[in-house]
Amino acid sequence: MQQDAHEFLNFLINHINEIILSERPQKSKNGDGDAGNSTPEPTWVHEIFQGILTSETRCLNCETMSSKDEDFFDLQVDIDQNTSITHCLRCFSSMETLCGDNKFKCDHCSSYQEAQKCMRVKKLPMILALHLKRFKYMEQYNRHIKVSHRVVFPLELRLFNTSDDAVNPDRMYNLVAVVIHCGSGPNRGHYISIVKSHDFWLLFDDDMVDKIDQSAIDDFYGLTSDIQKSSETGYILFYQSRDTTETNINEAKVNGK
Amino acid sequence: MALNVDSGGKEELKTQFITREGTYRLMTLSEYSRPNRVGYTNIQGSTSVRVSFVTLPDPNGNGDRICFNIGRELYVFIYKGVKKAADLTKPVDKKMYKGTNPTCHDFNTTNMTSDSVSLLVGFSTGQVQLIDPIKKELSKLYNEERMIDKTKVTCIRWVPGSTNLFLVSHSSGQLYLYNEELPCGTSPPNYQPFKQGDSFAIHTCKTKSTRNPLYRWVIGNEGVSINEFAFSPCGSYLAIVSQDGFLRVFHYNTMELVGSARSYFGGFLCVCWSPDCKYIVVGGEDDLVTVWSFVEKRVVARGQGHHSWVSVVAFDSYTSTFAIGKHQEWNENTSPSENKVDTCYRLGSVGQDTQLCLWDITDDILRQKPCSKTRNTVVSGSVSPSSNSNKTSQNTCANKEKDGLEAISSFTHRLGIGFEKKDNIGHKRSLSKGTTLQLTNNSSDDPMRLIGTNSCPRFDECPIMEPLVCKKIAHERLTALVFREDCFVAACQDGYVYTWARPGKMVSDGDFVTFS
Repeated sequence: MQQDAHEFLNFLINHINEIILSERPQKSKNGDGDAGNSTPEPTWVHEIFQGILTSETRCLNCETMSSKDEDFFDLQVDIDQNTSITHCLRCFSSMETLCGDNKFKCDHCSSYQEAQKCMRVKKLPMILALHLKRFKYMEQYNRHIKVSHRVVFPLELRLFNTSDDAVNPDRMYNLVAVVIHCGSGPNRGHYISIVKSHDFWLLFDDDMVDKIDQSAIDDFYGLTSDIQKSSETGYILFYQSRDTTETNINEAKVNGK
Repeated sequence: MALNVDSGGKEELKTQFITREGTYRLMTLSEYSRPNRVGYTNIQGSTSVRVSFVTLPDPNGNGDRICFNIGRELYVFIYKGVKKAADLTKPVDKKMYKGTNPTCHDFNTTNMTSDSVSLLVGFSTGQVQLIDPIKKELSKLYNEERMIDKTKVTCIRWVPGSTNLFLVSHSSGQLYLYNEELPCGTSPPNYQPFKQGDSFAIHTCKTKSTRNPLYRWVIGNEGVSINEFAFSPCGSYLAIVSQDGFLRVFHYNTMELVGSARSYFGGFLCVCWSPDCKYIVVGGEDDLVTVWSFVEKRVVARGQGHHSWVSVVAFDSYTSTFAIGKHQEWNENTSPSENKVDTCYRLGSVGQDTQLCLWDITDDILRQKPCSKTRNTVVSGSVSPSSNSNKTSQNTCANKEKDGLEAISSFTHRLGIGFEKKDNIGHKRSLSKGTTLQLTNNSSDDPMRLIGTNSCPRFDECPIMEPLVCKKIAHERLTALVFREDCFVAACQDGYVYTWARPGKMVSDGDFVTFS
């Protein structure tokens, strides 16, 4: 049984965060009542990966808009055949109608109502991690199936799905790493990754590290037909905000003098 | 066992669609491909299928020839369009190459005759071949030893009106001018600088005896692929799009950079000119088609409809209406300055999403003045002058925003590209020119500086067009689109070239000559 790279990423991020928090000097242990409610000071894990999603819901009965913010460390996006990650992110933020069993509990109406919901990015993280949902549960097979759809991802990315009150909507991202799943299904296969390092792309495959040509990234977009059994497909994309890299460089230069 | 994950590739394809001018229909018998359809190999990752047309002088009107590449092969057929079924048994010419793939081709329309035409072919390994697919006696190779450039030929074009000059672009980011009559030399060329500008440099060969290449243009940073280039219909200007996300427009003879634009993000992949030379449309990795005004030197509109990268853009000059040039509603009593003709350009685009989009670019879109929406948020990039740099590097967003805002406004102010100044038409031309040069100089590796400028307006500062038609017409990504008088032609990565009859142009299937 193979573990999932995305689950591992979550585990890793959370675990590092917990370690940092546990090693922080304990300020006050007496305020027991408050300690449960107050969120601890953010760590560098938050500074790097954390963004804020805002979900805006409009009740179709009373037309009241309500919005709720939530933190995220990565965005989990559904994928379609022959699309781009840009399109998948658009779909991620497209309007969803809550109806049937999935009605919205409207505080204003004090009852469950049909509503329209939309999730958009309010704070863009320094590192944008995008998880392509390639392992899809198929009812007719009663198990998870790997979706090898061809989803192209550019070396440079900006988000279209930012909220109107977004803090930094113009952030320009550069692709810096991709976790790639090789194989035919969720329970078997192999993970490799490509990482950009000093203007070169490196491919990490267990203990092998190879320099690869940038054009070889095309091989990891996926397959246009469903006939082939096995595929090497981008699974988690890491985009780094360009302003942070440059700010850091400037900062380093200033400090160096 | 292959599991059908979802409707993905099995989705039904369109064989007809309706626009305001009528119904376009797929001509199933006019499908061009390999003569022998068996023995298909893996098409994944192979070079894009491109299509070139030529109409040879022919008294019977049967002069149309089509050229396309599939994998390592190149085919030339008599093109019968909507009139008759394709006869794939008798290619005019076919070539198979070893160790290299043809990537692009172009017919010379200046010196063709009814039984002779010059066809240029570029290859994935950098070489260029000149052949005559009709006479078959001509075959010349350029860059044969790959001493001029080792990288893939990305685009090849005869210089408009020339019988012997052609331009070749490579994924190395260089563009070469060749004279088909000159040798390429037995040693690598030694270059000397000829002209230098912001983000480009032009060189000539040092050798006294003239040899190829005549000129070498280096566009953008070293190693940034030129993805396509296009001469303006008037022949004077050259538009070049690159992987660095830039459109650069040059006056071809003076080699001066006259304008530029930046993608929303990612590389620009394709470029075309409006038939009247007033607009350039580019498509790219931001899934958008971007309309750039040559006169105003700014991005005037963006089209949103593709679900993936846009691989080809093309104007349909037969359906477009505009003041200058041929047009059925054009009234001779109207003076051009009054501009009474309702301008409406028809644009087509195809992409990796296997979809065809048609767009109407109308006056009300083109005439919208650039607007600078009041925003409380701006880019938090390091656009600030050095005095502010330590402040910008602080982590609080509020600080960054404030500095960014000041920096941008002062930056734009310095360059005189505030939106409000754009009404001054008399001053515009010289102003834009200077601005563009300076912008690319400062920004060739930092697109952040261009966000919110005429080269790359913010999304809400620029009109967004929706496609008139958006149809999935293939199972594989689309790689070519050509508009013709009675049809349009689209090619697909898997090696099929489809003909779609324009409304009322379809010959009924019964009239087709059956396969012999």
